[in-house]
Amino acid sequence: MVPDTADGGKAGVDLSVDGLLHLRWLPGVDIQVEDARAAMAKVNELCQQEQHPMLVDMAAVASVSREARGVWSIPCGASRIALLGTSPVDRVLANFFLGVHVPPCPTRFFTSRSDALAWLNPGA
Amino acid sequence: MLPAAVRWDYVTSRRSVEDPRLQLLVDGVVRLAAGDLDARIEPSEDRDDIDAVITGVNLLAEELGYIHSELEQRVAARTAMLRRTQVELEQMAKTDALTGLANRTLLTERIQEAILSSADGGKAPAVLILDLDSFKAINDILGHSAGDAALVEVANRLRSAVRASDTVARLGGDEFAILITAATKDEILQIAHRASEYLQDSVRIGIETVWAMASIGVCIGTPGYPAEALMRDADIAMYQAKARGRNNVQLFHPDMLDAVRERSRITAELRTAVAGGELALLYQPVVELASGRVIGIEALLRWHHPVRGTIMPGSFIGIAEETGLIFELGRWVLHEGVAQMNRWSQTDPGLPDFCLHINLSAAELLRPDLLEDIRDTLAQHGVDPRRLVLEITETVLMSRGTGEEHVLSRLRELGVGLQIDDFGTGYSSISYLRSLPADTVKVDQSLIKDMESDPRQQKFVSAILQLISAAGLNATVEGIETAEQAAQLEAMGCLFGQGYFYGYPVPAAEVPERLRRPAPRLYS
Repeated sequence: MVPDTADGGKAGVDLSVDGLLHLRWLPGVDIQVEDARAAMAKVNELCQQEQHPMLVDMAAVASVSREARGVWSIPCGASRIALLGTSPVDRVLANFFLGVHVPPCPTRFFTSRSDALAWLNPGA
Repeated sequence: MLPAAVRWDYVTSRRSVEDPRLQLLVDGVVRLAAGDLDARIEPSEDRDDIDAVITGVNLLAEELGYIHSELEQRVAARTAMLRRTQVELEQMAKTDALTGLANRTLLTERIQEAILSSADGGKAPAVLILDLDSFKAINDILGHSAGDAALVEVANRLRSAVRASDTVARLGGDEFAILITAATKDEILQIAHRASEYLQDSVRIGIETVWAMASIGVCIGTPGYPAEALMRDADIAMYQAKARGRNNVQLFHPDMLDAVRERSRITAELRTAVAGGELALLYQPVVELASGRVIGIEALLRWHHPVRGTIMPGSFIGIAEETGLIFELGRWVLHEGVAQMNRWSQTDPGLPDFCLHINLSAAELLRPDLLEDIRDTLAQHGVDPRRLVLEITETVLMSRGTGEEHVLSRLRELGVGLQIDDFGTGYSSISYLRSLPADTVKVDQSLIKDMESDPRQQKFVSAILQLISAAGLNATVEGIETAEQAAQLEAMGCLFGQGYFYGYPVPAAEVPERLRRPAPRLYS
């Protein structure tokens, strides 16, 4: 499936046939509040009132503003969120999101894609 | 040669120490520690542990900045709230809660400000003091909520009577004040009369209609006139307005202040007059017209002032009533008069029987120890209560409340006689005459003044005497100065009289001789 790019052009969102949302932040982006809102709007648009697990590919994101982190405290179409990163920087960014804000759905940070997918689809 | 593990650590350590990002990190932390919460450290592309620490420090700095800014906003909000509360409290402290008008504190401030701003050649401010004339009756009869409603209405009317630049204040109770700034004398008086005019209309409270007119005193300041003097003199002028029949406007004049000072001096001197032995009683006979026999003696108070000579009661009884000194004066008159009765019986045991008449003021009737005092004084001097007659003005008897009613009936039980004094000067209800708790009526001298030359007045006096007789009371006419008056009154059936024709007030020593000597007779 071709990624549907969110407004602002910093992320791509798609919904696979097996019901997995995939949000990909482009490498090196500084995520601001409007970028986060645009991405969330796209997620909600794809979900159409239904909830789906979501994999957030955040490897190589340069920074996330405080306001942008706050956007993800608002409930959206995601039923659970796996934050996927690779570096210690990703881990710090993800944990600041998890620590400072209370996520609206189960949310965890992973460095392994397979572990993330397994956690997102426990029955699969 | 170092072991392999140690060598690796050493190499790693050396590499870390040499990493220029660490110096950047240290610099950034120092800037943050110095309070520069906007300081950020640029991570590298490596995204390794050092970049993770840098990112963490940046995020913590961001959080710290946010918390700091939020705290500042909260402090600013709280400070603003405190300021607002302070302004509100000040407003409350300077406003009358019922009417929303300025209170005395704010009025005084505004007067001071007006005086200051007029200091450089401007017009000095003027103060009006307004006291409602019959407010107590509204409160007493209709209750305090009705009274409050009337006060609010008065406040609204006064607001509409002044200019925007003037201040209307409620000083307390039913007393209001208006501060007028930068106005001519004509403008000030115009505002005062407009305020008075606006208060002429009735006030509707529920289904009741009341009136809340005011006596208004005006004091127009001059350069250097102090604020306290403005208030005091407006107040004096207001009392002048009260004295001149209420519901009018009086402009302060320095003579008014002299009169007030005179009253104040009299009050102070009167306090020492009793102890200083400056009071004395004179006695005037009450005569049976037909026989000329003296049947009573009225004790009349005189104040022998060491400097100003003899002062008549009319000049100080009012002040004594206002200041409460009337209790002390009344007590002295009672004790002295009854004691004198005893002295006469000692010095002149053969004197014909007669009564002692003593005037009792309205305030005295509610003196808590009055009954006891009268009973004990009579007993102490061995005087029969039936030989004491208390003269009480008709106004007191007409408007008596339950307290007065109780005292009057107890006095009658005691055997003391009660006489209605000054009959014809008040506003007696004729039908009420029959129910008055009195034995005799003293007809005021003003009624017989023109009797000799005015046949209509003769008929009028005759009718009054018949009325008193019909009510089952005996009449004594006072102020008889001529034989003709005496003859006319006797012809009308009047039994008793008093006046210069029968004798001037005399000292106690002259009374026995007067009692023994027959009064001037009309017919021999």
